[in-house]
Amino acid sequence: MSISDATVAVSEELAARDDMIVCRDVDKWFGDFQALSGITATIKEQEIVVVLGPSGSGKSTWIRCINRLEAHQNGQIIVDGIELTNDLRNIEKIRSEVGMVFQQFNLFPHLTVVDNITLAPIWVRKKSRPEAEELAAALLERVGIPEQAEKFPGQLSGGQQQRVAIARALAMEPRVMLFDEPTSALDPEMIKEVLDVMEELARSGMTMMVVTHEMGFAREVADRVIFMEGGEIVEVGTPHHFFTDPTEERTKLFLSQVL
Amino acid sequence: MDDAAGTRGTAAAGGAGPVGPVGPVGPVDPAVTDVAAAAAARARPPEETYRSAGEWIRKNLFSSRLNSLLTIAFGLLILFAARGLLNFVFSEERGWDAVRTNLRLIFTHAYPEEQYVRIWVCVGTLVVLTGLSLGLFAGRGEGVQLQKISTVMAGVGAAIALGVILREPSVLIGADGAVVRENDDVVRQSFFEAMADRWAWWLAAAVLIAAGVVLRRAVASSKVSISSVPAVEFAVALLALPVLSAWIYPWGHFAFVDGTFIAEPGRTVAMSTKVPWTVMWLLVVAAMALGRLMRRGFDEQQQQRMRIPLNLLWLASPFALYWVILRDPHLEWDRVLSVDIPMGVLFGVIGAGVLWMLTRPGVGELGRIIAIVLLGVAAFNWLAAFFGWYSMLQKARLSFLLLALVALAAHNFAGESIKRRRLVVAWLVLMAIVHYFATLMNAPSTVETPTEALIGGFAVTVIVAVFTIMLSFPLGVLLALARTSRLPIFRVMATSYIEVIRGVPLITILIFFAIILNLFLPVGMEISLIASATLGYTLFSAAYLAENVRGGLQSVRRGQFEASDAVGLSTTQRTVFVVLPQALRVSIPPLVGQMIATFKETSLLAIIGVFDVLRMANSVIPAQTQFLGIKREGLLFVSVVYWIFAYTLSKQSQRLERRLGVGER
Ligand SMILES: Nc1ncnc2c1ncn2[C@@H]1O[C@H](COP(=O)(O)OP(=O)(O)O)[C@@H](O)[C@H]1O
Ligand SMILES: [Mg+2]
Repeated sequence: MSISDATVAVSEELAARDDMIVCRDVDKWFGDFQALSGITATIKEQEIVVVLGPSGSGKSTWIRCINRLEAHQNGQIIVDGIELTNDLRNIEKIRSEVGMVFQQFNLFPHLTVVDNITLAPIWVRKKSRPEAEELAAALLERVGIPEQAEKFPGQLSGGQQQRVAIARALAMEPRVMLFDEPTSALDPEMIKEVLDVMEELARSGMTMMVVTHEMGFAREVADRVIFMEGGEIVEVGTPHHFFTDPTEERTKLFLSQVL
Repeated sequence: MDDAAGTRGTAAAGGAGPVGPVGPVGPVDPAVTDVAAAAAARARPPEETYRSAGEWIRKNLFSSRLNSLLTIAFGLLILFAARGLLNFVFSEERGWDAVRTNLRLIFTHAYPEEQYVRIWVCVGTLVVLTGLSLGLFAGRGEGVQLQKISTVMAGVGAAIALGVILREPSVLIGADGAVVRENDDVVRQSFFEAMADRWAWWLAAAVLIAAGVVLRRAVASSKVSISSVPAVEFAVALLALPVLSAWIYPWGHFAFVDGTFIAEPGRTVAMSTKVPWTVMWLLVVAAMALGRLMRRGFDEQQQQRMRIPLNLLWLASPFALYWVILRDPHLEWDRVLSVDIPMGVLFGVIGAGVLWMLTRPGVGELGRIIAIVLLGVAAFNWLAAFFGWYSMLQKARLSFLLLALVALAAHNFAGESIKRRRLVVAWLVLMAIVHYFATLMNAPSTVETPTEALIGGFAVTVIVAVFTIMLSFPLGVLLALARTSRLPIFRVMATSYIEVIRGVPLITILIFFAIILNLFLPVGMEISLIASATLGYTLFSAAYLAENVRGGLQSVRRGQFEASDAVGLSTTQRTVFVVLPQALRVSIPPLVGQMIATFKETSLLAIIGVFDVLRMANSVIPAQTQFLGIKREGLLFVSVVYWIFAYTLSKQSQRLERRLGVGER
């Protein structure tokens, strides 16, 4: 599959029915510096896409544009049929449908684990507190740390914190999950516990877009791999294609450096 | 000795380190077991323990030649200073009677004798709240070691003994036998005779030291089965001592009857003082016992839930105590029935209707527009009143503004009817409280005082400080948020306000509010001196608080904003639930510093003509015929009172910091 194949899926209507994220010719500048140029890609429902690329290639910028933590300047981003514009209501709607996990966890340090998870469901989804707490308990069970509910983030290990962050994002019952290098701030022995949770999530049918340097994860879990460099998408393909028989020179160079 | 062993262990560990791993194979080397011991010791952070006071002194005060020199030099300096202070405080020339006799004046000024019960009701309410809070929440598992108590007792005894020796005899005989100084015809022939005069102090020192030693022995020999007493209970029990002293010691007697001051030194305190203080002590004990009982009866969650009503009572108490009890408002019932109550009900009902409508599930953008329109109207009401185009009653303007503010936040309660109902009920309660207090504030006071100030002394200091702190805190937070807002209009307004206020001396602002404000107010509206001064302090303090909060806001990391956005919180929700809690926690030390500053700056009240505690000491007491010109004692006493309050505040802030530090990153 190539870039053009991916875009063919978009018909005359805004996006096809099972297209979860559609980006068309997205450009983004920081001042005079162009961080994204002509990003065009489509992510289908239940698809797991891993984004690879050297540091500074614009991976974070792209993923952050998708829930409007950064604003793009040209092109279209359509999430679950809603186009991201300056309209606040669309932004709010998309943010409550898209979960995000950060490299630095970004848990709320003044709230207990359970309060971290229930805050948004209570105030954004307008759930009652018992209902939200029940949900939080179920999610903590799912990420494997049910016993940490009453602790503060500062009392947990990095791996546990990142799993709480995943539970917090899942509590909004999102349709898509974005991961920006979720394991890069972790000590090696904690990486696996987070990757396991992500794998389980992928198997459960969640649509996921993952920026990572974990080649093992890309190889085994991803449906597609997107390789970026210099703010552009260089190559798109299945993990098998990507790791065994990449077409582009730049991809080969990158792989020779990281593998 | 301990230390020597430790050093040897470390040295051995260092030397034998490389041998360690082969230990089991090689011959059993005593050094190897040492290594193990050292390793075990290293498992815990080495804690410096001292076997005796002598060892501590050797290690910390005389560890090197320079250190010894410094210790001796500063030790002499301290002794010298202590001697000077003792000679000042205990000199026969000091008129401490002026302070003792005027205690009531210092604390409450000329509050009419026959209405004094109001003051006791206020003190009593605060005492009960304190007792309940202490009983319910304080000192969970905290205790004072008996050993520590014994050390303190012996230490105080020793300090008294040292003080007695340090202080110069008031009468001295020179080397040639001539009297160098005399006092009241008493001529002591020798140093020892002068010392003998102080037998009571010697006795006190001896008793304290003996008691300390006996207690320490008893604890060490484990004849006493407990090793500590509950800290809070112990402190409250200690309070019995000063209360008891009111029954025994001649503190002096002060009264203000029929417009005249009566000050009688050397008399025991009047019944009307002794009995209430005793009652207050009993109240605090009873309230604390009740709190403890409740704590035993409740589980953790119920206790946490008790915090909310108790804190609300604390917050409401200054308003209720001041406007309801101290001022005793005189209500004109005709007006209350025809204007005040109908207006309150009207605002309650209409506001409830508006809020109910604004929280309908599908109301969306329209709700915000309506709220903003309301806010505009509310702001215009104040403008109109200021320029005299039309003037609504103050209460109506205030209610309008509140409605607009609540309406702005209403979308957070949209949806489920249970939430909507909660908002409406909260609105009705708010209106009831606001209208109740507004009515009471507008009614004239029935408490008649001879001077303009209603009450003076330390009470006015506390009242102004408490209201300033309570009012300037929310204002400061709002200003800080406005200054960091994305909307330029808010930013510009807040920044100019803060910079203007910070560029003007506080005293100018106070004088403006005290003297000139009344000229600017619309006709028919008057404001008391204390109220206008409080307003001035509030506006001043808010600007500084805002800067402190802004510092805290800046310390909140970007990731926190992004995480809040990513889970879909709105800007308001992000501010209230994520940003502010973290910002305020960081700014606790500067915020408390500002509060302490405000508390001390209330002494400027004396300059604008309020009879505050400083003015009592500086001009009121020295003008009394019995105590003509006695000023230094009062000033020293007032400084100590200020210090006690400021120090307590700062201690409490440290505790708060530690308690909130739990979740620190
Ligand atoms: N807020 C910003 N302001 C200016 N430049 C930025 C900003 N964020 C990212 N950049 C630049 O954009 C480029 C892409 O960054 P990023 O998306 O973080 O790369 P990646 O995540 O692939 O390492 C980098 O050169 C970076 O310096
Ligand atoms: Mg990145």
